[in-house]
Amino acid sequence: MGLRSQSDAGRLPEVIGLLARLIVGVVLIWAGAAKVTSPALSARAVRAFQILPYDFAGYVGYALPVVEILVGLLLVIGLFTRLSATVGGILMVAFIIGIASAWARGLTIDCGCFGGGGTIAAAQTQYPRDILRDVGVAACAAWLVARPRTAYSLDQRLFS
Amino acid sequence: MRPDASKKLKAATPKKGANPVIIGGVVAAVVIVGVVVAILIGNSGKSGGASGGSAQPAGVVSGDLGGILANASPAKSNAPTLDLYEDFQCPVCGQLEKAMGPSIASMVQAGDIKLVVHTLSFLDDNLNNDSSKRSANAVACASDVGKFLAYHAAVFAAQPAQEGAGYTDAQLTEFATTAGITGTSLTTWQKCTSSGQHAQYVTDTQSAAEKAGVNSTPTLKLNGKDITKTLSTPEALIAQVKAATK
Repeated sequence: MGLRSQSDAGRLPEVIGLLARLIVGVVLIWAGAAKVTSPALSARAVRAFQILPYDFAGYVGYALPVVEILVGLLLVIGLFTRLSATVGGILMVAFIIGIASAWARGLTIDCGCFGGGGTIAAAQTQYPRDILRDVGVAACAAWLVARPRTAYSLDQRLFS
Repeated sequence: MRPDASKKLKAATPKKGANPVIIGGVVAAVVIVGVVVAILIGNSGKSGGASGGSAQPAGVVSGDLGGILANASPAKSNAPTLDLYEDFQCPVCGQLEKAMGPSIASMVQAGDIKLVVHTLSFLDDNLNNDSSKRSANAVACASDVGKFLAYHAAVFAAQPAQEGAGYTDAQLTEFATTAGITGTSLTTWQKCTSSGQHAQYVTDTQSAAEKAGVNSTPTLKLNGKDITKTLSTPEALIAQVKAATK
């Protein structure tokens, strides 16, 4: 600890880590909060991807917003950062695969990432934008998995 | 920064730091309980949407996909089947009815097509009301008294300009009059509508459509083939129907 706090160069990765935590955390909380109050809609959005079996897709739709919010909260407060970032990163990769697959199969759906979802007009689809956003978030999550020690985290407060 | 909090934390936790296993256990428990509760609430919402009876309306086409056969008299034996998926609250469905409704109705009357209408109700979730389910139940009740297409047309003719305004019970009754439901038929229709006699059927129709990959309205299938995107004019539909007639 002594060595680290002396050098500014040592602090920089921790500050980047803090930013990464906030980016992944806030995006997850935002996405979860937008969907958590309308479970039927969320289930339908997952089904619209036509990847998972009907009933299982429903369960994913119900559970996903809660998982997003809780993992997002853990990242914002910096608790179990590496594990939370791993889960967040896996979610992002799954979203990227889902969106890319829908795009490749010629479906015209709203990803339902922040509420909404279902089939929309072809001209309204936002596949490149959605994938780019998720790639960015996934990159932040990857950084945290590699360097889970971040500034202002509960992990450091509690466990070090 | 916050000396008080850190002092408290130090006092509250053992000197070697908090026990990650305990905190991790608590967090894991919160996640598991949250997920289970979310799934339970989601599932209960699914069945809770159907309050009312589970009677099948007249004219239901047997098979997984359901839908109500709109033909009053049997179609020609070589007539293709047109499946029409609509939500009474969907504005594009209203436009489709305006543009193609009369042509479709006359093909039904001539027996050139078997028209199977699937009244979906997913927009209730988007619009936060229950007008799609109520009107779908009401049109199923109209099928019971042989006035499916007339009632169907009456609802779309009165579709509110603003999506989400929905239909009042009084309006649903008005549509029955417009559709020419009178006398004992009207009594039957009223009983059926106010008790939500086909509520379960309406919910099942929605899930059957989703299982069949129909998650937007309007969707038209001619002999099972999705032709929604090819329909610019009524003539285009009529031509496709002719081509599909064997």
